[in-house]
Amino acid sequence: MTTAVPLQVRDVTVRFAGLTALDQVNFTVDPGTVHAVIGPNGAGKSTCFNVLSGVYRATSGSVRFGAHELTGMPPHRIAGLGIARTFQNLALPPRATVADSLLLGRHRLTRTGFVAAGLRLPSAAREEARHRARVREIAAFVGLEDQLDRPAGSLPYGQQKLAELGRALCMEPELLLLDEPVAGMTADERRRTAAVIAGVRDSLGISIVLVEHDMGVVMRLADAVTVLDFGRRIAGGAPADVQNDPAVIRAYLGEDEPAHAEQDGEQDGEQDGEQHAQRDGEAAS
Amino acid sequence: MTIFIELLLNGISLGSVYALIALGFVVIFRATEVVNFAHASLLLAGGYITAVLSDDIGFWLALLTGIAGAALVGAAIEFLVMRRYRGADHSVLAIVTIGVDIMLVADIGRRLGTDILSVGDPWGDRVLTIGAVSLAQTRVAALLAAGLLITAFLLAFRYTSWGVAMRAAAENAGTAALMGIRLGRVSLGAWAVAGGLAAVAALFLTVFPTPGLEKSTAQVAMKAFPAAILGGLDSTTGALVGGLIVGVTESLATGYQGDLTFLGRGLGELAPYLVMVAILLLRPAGLFGTKELARV
Amino acid sequence: MSDITDQNQNQKQKQKQNVPPLRAAAKTATRVPRPLTRPGGYGWVAGALLLLALPFYLDTFWLQAGLFAMAAAIGAIGLNLLTGSTGQLSMGHAFFLAVGAYGYTALAGDSEGRYTGLGLPTWLAALLAVVLTGLAGGLFSPIAGRLRGAYLGIATLALIVIGLHVIDNATDLTGGALGREVPALNLFGFGFDRSELLVAGVPFGSAEKLWYVGLALLLGCALFARGVLRGRPGRAMNAIRDHRIAAGVMGVPVARYRAAVFVLSSMYAGLAGVLLALVFQNVTPSQFGMVVSLQYLAMIVIGGLGSVGGAVVGAVFVSMLPQVLTRYSDALPLVATPGTGGVSPGEASAYLYGAAVVAVVLFLPGGLIRLVARRTTMSTSGEKR
Repeated sequence: MTTAVPLQVRDVTVRFAGLTALDQVNFTVDPGTVHAVIGPNGAGKSTCFNVLSGVYRATSGSVRFGAHELTGMPPHRIAGLGIARTFQNLALPPRATVADSLLLGRHRLTRTGFVAAGLRLPSAAREEARHRARVREIAAFVGLEDQLDRPAGSLPYGQQKLAELGRALCMEPELLLLDEPVAGMTADERRRTAAVIAGVRDSLGISIVLVEHDMGVVMRLADAVTVLDFGRRIAGGAPADVQNDPAVIRAYLGEDEPAHAEQDGEQDGEQDGEQHAQRDGEAAS
Repeated sequence: MTIFIELLLNGISLGSVYALIALGFVVIFRATEVVNFAHASLLLAGGYITAVLSDDIGFWLALLTGIAGAALVGAAIEFLVMRRYRGADHSVLAIVTIGVDIMLVADIGRRLGTDILSVGDPWGDRVLTIGAVSLAQTRVAALLAAGLLITAFLLAFRYTSWGVAMRAAAENAGTAALMGIRLGRVSLGAWAVAGGLAAVAALFLTVFPTPGLEKSTAQVAMKAFPAAILGGLDSTTGALVGGLIVGVTESLATGYQGDLTFLGRGLGELAPYLVMVAILLLRPAGLFGTKELARV
Repeated sequence: MSDITDQNQNQKQKQKQNVPPLRAAAKTATRVPRPLTRPGGYGWVAGALLLLALPFYLDTFWLQAGLFAMAAAIGAIGLNLLTGSTGQLSMGHAFFLAVGAYGYTALAGDSEGRYTGLGLPTWLAALLAVVLTGLAGGLFSPIAGRLRGAYLGIATLALIVIGLHVIDNATDLTGGALGREVPALNLFGFGFDRSELLVAGVPFGSAEKLWYVGLALLLGCALFARGVLRGRPGRAMNAIRDHRIAAGVMGVPVARYRAAVFVLSSMYAGLAGVLLALVFQNVTPSQFGMVVSLQYLAMIVIGGLGSVGGAVVGAVFVSMLPQVLTRYSDALPLVATPGTGGVSPGEASAYLYGAAVVAVVLFLPGGLIRLVARRTTMSTSGEKR
């Protein structure tokens, strides 16, 4: 089984030329759980993922995965620790076969270098065969075993997203970062993908951080939720609690328009002042 | 000290000419994200037209025709070639410009043969002397003309609708197109402007003390590449600073190579490239280039 | 992590029930092993026999042209690993050709008169020249690793200028502008020099003998490159080209890989340089200018970016074109014999391959090799796309 270590995000701030994309964000992903990060567009969810995977460097704060400090590490070293991610917009080369894309996921687990590959040494051939077999298993796990030899670009969108998920799984990760895994999928594909993700957690024991707009999927899968708005963490906790959190509802529906404000009031009957206080309190905690 | 000042002034003048070329190069890059390896051949085309016509129609008219001609060549490359590749990978597009460059250099090189053409400029080899410092008139003219053109260009870039369209296209081509900016016109304009600037640069690279326009002028024009990249490919300020660095480096290295014999003959040609390598080691995106932010 | 497997099996079964039946068509793309019995297999054998037999029939002019093409092919394979497969542009390929050619000459040559040389055994000199080129490529790796695409292309212009500067100044090693004579290769007592050897009634001079060395080297280089591309390094290289950030996130150390491919590509160029020197028997600076770098880029674009076969096809096209035009200049319209004022064969071929670069990218993405590949796939499996 995987060595269970938590991911701890502490006071992470990211600034780009005057714009604060993440502001003192805190959350912890417990081992073996699905942790959803949600929020309106522009809330900083993708920035958060880019910090976790080493694509962006945090201006300040710390991200710890077990004993390892991730901030300042280049992406490939973070991948080497067993952290895999998928991308919001597909990052799958269209002309390469699905098998080749999945094999790329095995990069950190394989050793064959230029000389061994160039000279086709027996060790390289053995390694290749072993990992192709494992890739086949993982393809079967996500339901793509019959598509392995097709170019990724020829698959329907939903299957391409599954192929990306499969590629991330091929890294045998301990922590999986999924950036909108069901976006753009049909209802049927969504159901299947959600089942695969639940299977990853339940049968493989992999911790998952999930960015997703589909609240149905989030509520079904997530063990814990962190809500971001304008780069701040405005709420967090169990899915059911977050769903009824006034700050969250306000972030999604807006607060300046009277009609919405009224709606807010009807739903949870709180005073404006209190809401502000709560919002600030959440962000600071 | 006098020698140092003379070398410095010469370097600044030369550098402002390199800046003209680099500026065109950067403009094309910003408008289309294409690294234009055919830039030296644009310059050669402008210089060739000026040199061939100056005997018949006089220098100034020939120069204007040369500028218009090079702008037309640039626009033609954009319209006939680059426009056909919309959406292609930018590295591949850079190679396409190499193909264009091979053809253009072959053509102009064939016309030139081993000739050295004079552009028939009015300055000749006269020298301007202020106190102890003397400077070739051509160098003074280069400095003035380049300064004027660069200022005009930067003003246009900042304030005219063309400049706004150009910067918008550089920021995000898709959004700019949705806002009603015609990307085709923007890139056509960029190529034409780059051609015109290169033609002016061609004039000042072939007047005194250089013997005239010849095949190897293309190699001189290549120095705009290190100028552009050490400043930062997407920065107009970078093109100016890069041009000046290259010009001054070349001038000083050539002037003092007597003291630097251990580095070999022809140091002036080499020095700008060494400076480029040194700067890229420290700052891979150049001095003023924006470090690309990945959008994933 | 091994116990995941059985859980996967369970999961697989669970999944299978949800998965709709897949179209049978998906199977057609599966790679079929090529038996020798199909027409393509015979073609390869016939081609190989033809290449082996050519020295018995061709005159020295064509053998030299062919050897030149083989050297170019080795260099082009190397550049294609860098540019085609990894997406990194290099204008400095001619520099590495020069390091190989001059390296061999100086290592194998003797110190006599105004020249300096180590007088090493020629095979050792050839080997060390390739290693030397790799070292030169490695020295540039801080830049080769950190700059991407066309940026690297501009930075490598420096290599050309530095190379020509050194050739110009280190005259005791290089002979300066006049060039230096290249010692003939000598493999275990068998000399690849001008001394003629009679094989089956055909006099074998240096070109005939070198032909087989060239073929062997090219075959070795092509197979090595193909192994690299089909294996783990090749997948990482393509990932860097297609999506640099995803490559890093998948665990590929992007900068280290770029630098490594740059070194490998340099070593290919170094070997090509050694062979070029042996073919020309004299090295001069004009063989290693900027134009040469552009020609190599033209080769890989025309032949096919990212493919070993494409590099070979492109190299043959670009390097043979001037030779063919020179030989048949009287018969061709518009092309004049050199020195008569018209379009010379060299200029005509520059027009042609310049235009070919532009046209291939536009009309034949994937290069000439795609034409060949399309023919063979159509004959085996019918419609592929």
